[in-house]
Amino acid sequence: MPPPTLDLHDIQGLFARGYGSLKAAAFLLLGVEDSDAARNWLRAVTPAITRADTRPAERAVNLAFTSSGLERLGLGPETLAMFSNEFVTGMTTSHRTRILGDLDDKAPSRWKWGGPSSPRIDAALLLYAPDGAGLRALEGEQTRILELSGLSVLQRLGTSDLDGFEPFGFRDGVSQPFVEGLSKAGPRETTVRAGEFLLGYLNEYGLYTDRPLLDPSADLDDGLPRDAAGSGRADLGRNGSYLVFRQLRQDVGGFWRFVDAATQRTDGSSDPNARMRLAAKMVGRWPSGAPLTLAPDADDHRLADANDFAYHDHDRRGTRCPIGSHIRRSNPRDSLDPRPGSERSFEINRRHRILRRGREYGPPLSIDQALAGDDSDDRGLHFICLNANIARQFEFIQHTWLNNPKFDGLYDDADPLVSPSTPHGGTFTIPTDGVRKRVADVPRFVSVKGGAYFFLPGLAALGYLAGSR
Amino acid sequence: MPYQDALTIVAPVRAGAVDDLKSLLATMGDGVANGSVVDFSALSGVHFARLIVVDADRDSSGAPLPASLVFLSDLDVSKDAHLVELAEIAGEGIDRLFGHCEGYPAGGTITPRDRLGYLIRQVVKESATYVNTTGRTARQIRQESELRDAIEAFLDTSARSSPNSDPSEVFKEVAELVEREPALRWAREAAERPALGARLRELGHMIAIPLLLIPVLPLALLVAPIYLFILRRHERRDPAPHVKPTEELVHDLAALEDHLVQNPFSALGHVKPARFRRLNLVVILFFLDYATRHFFNRGNLAGVKTIHFARWVFLDDGRRMLFASNYDGSLESYMDDFIDKVSWGLNLVFSNGVGYPKTSWLVFGGARDELAFKDYLRLHQVPTRVWYSAYGNLTALNVAQNERIRSIFSGTPGRDDERDWVQLL
Repeated sequence: MPPPTLDLHDIQGLFARGYGSLKAAAFLLLGVEDSDAARNWLRAVTPAITRADTRPAERAVNLAFTSSGLERLGLGPETLAMFSNEFVTGMTTSHRTRILGDLDDKAPSRWKWGGPSSPRIDAALLLYAPDGAGLRALEGEQTRILELSGLSVLQRLGTSDLDGFEPFGFRDGVSQPFVEGLSKAGPRETTVRAGEFLLGYLNEYGLYTDRPLLDPSADLDDGLPRDAAGSGRADLGRNGSYLVFRQLRQDVGGFWRFVDAATQRTDGSSDPNARMRLAAKMVGRWPSGAPLTLAPDADDHRLADANDFAYHDHDRRGTRCPIGSHIRRSNPRDSLDPRPGSERSFEINRRHRILRRGREYGPPLSIDQALAGDDSDDRGLHFICLNANIARQFEFIQHTWLNNPKFDGLYDDADPLVSPSTPHGGTFTIPTDGVRKRVADVPRFVSVKGGAYFFLPGLAALGYLAGSR
Repeated sequence: MPYQDALTIVAPVRAGAVDDLKSLLATMGDGVANGSVVDFSALSGVHFARLIVVDADRDSSGAPLPASLVFLSDLDVSKDAHLVELAEIAGEGIDRLFGHCEGYPAGGTITPRDRLGYLIRQVVKESATYVNTTGRTARQIRQESELRDAIEAFLDTSARSSPNSDPSEVFKEVAELVEREPALRWAREAAERPALGARLRELGHMIAIPLLLIPVLPLALLVAPIYLFILRRHERRDPAPHVKPTEELVHDLAALEDHLVQNPFSALGHVKPARFRRLNLVVILFFLDYATRHFFNRGNLAGVKTIHFARWVFLDDGRRMLFASNYDGSLESYMDDFIDKVSWGLNLVFSNGVGYPKTSWLVFGGARDELAFKDYLRLHQVPTRVWYSAYGNLTALNVAQNERIRSIFSGTPGRDDERDWVQLL
């Protein structure tokens, strides 16, 4: 089947790129009180929205709504019910907190935003610029439009540029799926059909994911695309994507102090090499980004971008990259059933991919600073990803792969980097050719500070929402 | 030791007593049984048990189908021995539960004999059952889990077990531990196997069925084109509406899920009213039961390795069918497994149920319609509040690996065996 033609002019830019050259970014979380005011604002802001067919050098603006936001813009219950259940019911239902591991002191009731005890979030305005000055200018403009329209900024989430590294100190964002229909070509194994990230396109099952299809008569100015499946209905979802947003605080000091203590020599002194080896085993890549499966013994900068590798043939048992490591379980490639090492395994893996678009926040912290305990600042990741089926993609990865102590035959090993370790899962097993090594009682280094499920509509859908009654 | 057995009790609920019964079940668990009313752990040889209420309904002709209390258990002991224990050990709870049901002995004191008589009358035969690994008892599963925990804890502290140690030395050290510790010494004996007589009987069954079917084969081949013709006609005509479950339904069902590593799944559906469909289902379940009994009985149900026990049961004279399973992980991953690995098998059975996504040639389509299939399952799911697992935090893969870890102690391993064994830990 030929790759689909993506309607890039209607798709928001964040789908096509993370705006790597726009190094300054801020995310404004908005609350809508008055529906008319919100629609006026939406009409005013729409011309500034960055589309996927441009490569912005100066600024980028993208906009996403929660289900309460769509409701306030005037979508009725029947239309909302056509969005996915996860999106409509939100990130904080009691079952979802179990799935996502947002329990105890990480429960939504303790969140800074998005939880039941903080103001309702209706929209997220994502702003990007090349530098701080550019961002201030862009933010100033956008804030004025918001103020004039009577919308409130409930939360401003700033970001920081750590030059491609996440706060623990490891290169981030190396592995992204290639999307069929976008210009960059990739190997078949990791090229995923557009319908996995966009509504209104065929997904990895060759099907259209559920999406809000309206009676054409509701589409007064005929602005919405028609259903690609041929029902004749107006597709409010087409060219849109679900945007998962989680503010993840990273305890960088705690992480390095833990690996330091776990690798101390018998005389109690630190062993920097062993410390780095253990940290890399937990991540699955060295700080440069080089994957352990290709560089098992030491970091290798030549492999910093290496992503075209699999596990089964050369690292089946995880003696190089442990089964439980973060990158192996967040993207197991060819390691899982029904036939590890085969195209069938990749085929199933492609049904559980996400496009990551997150940004770091907080000041950087070196390993020495971390070990010295000089880590009072708040830092972490504004995790953002796009997918078309939150249950099968984001939530599946989070629950079945990351948080699951039983992942791929393990017993008590949740993700050592990002997952909660209570009441089970605090073990990290490092396979060797002989007896395994085990690290016990791995504490939790990442905690959720806020989050919500958003919908990133296509431009035509934004137009419909701006005029919808 | 016998092969695993299953018990299904279906008891119609008295008119007007359904709400009371549901309230009682709600006090007994919130997805996992809390041990009140019936303490399943006090009964011998139980792997899994559950209590559900099947709602009243009408069949395609409008005839009423009763609400029923359904009790399911998966057993190492015989059905009969289990029934006696229910009547004797769990008698008081059985009275409270089945007291809501029609024909349950009433008044004064109810004797174990009364109870047993009632329960036996309500037993329904399963049309097909699946056991992850036949012959492996719940007691063995728990013991082997303890053994592995003890060995892992020992290796964490043992000075002589480093990655560079000679595997044979490591094994020797652990074998000494097993010998030394009274609580582990049982592992030096091989796991009990079913008795020779029972194994011969199974072998006999395995051979006899195909032999008996050989004479029918020519007839079957003759009928096949007609069968396929009728099948295709049904497949084209059977309505397959894609209905989305409501927010509330999903919320209520999900509230009961993911409290342990394992989850129960219970679903109830109407069998399509056409006689062809009914017959089709009976024949398919017959072969399914044959296949699970003799071939899919070592940890793998046609590619799915996360199911511990499952069963298919006709209710209401074949007008409704109940499917129940015990599986690892979330429902989302369970459904994905179904779709990705064994959609053909699901289609064979469930396409005979009302509302199932459209199939073609019995095995294609159907569950491959991902969201239609997932919504179909949610719509037919029965909430399982009272669910007992004897080892709720062990996956089927864990259980199998523990068995491999244990098995070495009763044999005479060579160096390669010892090296492989060390790598299991």
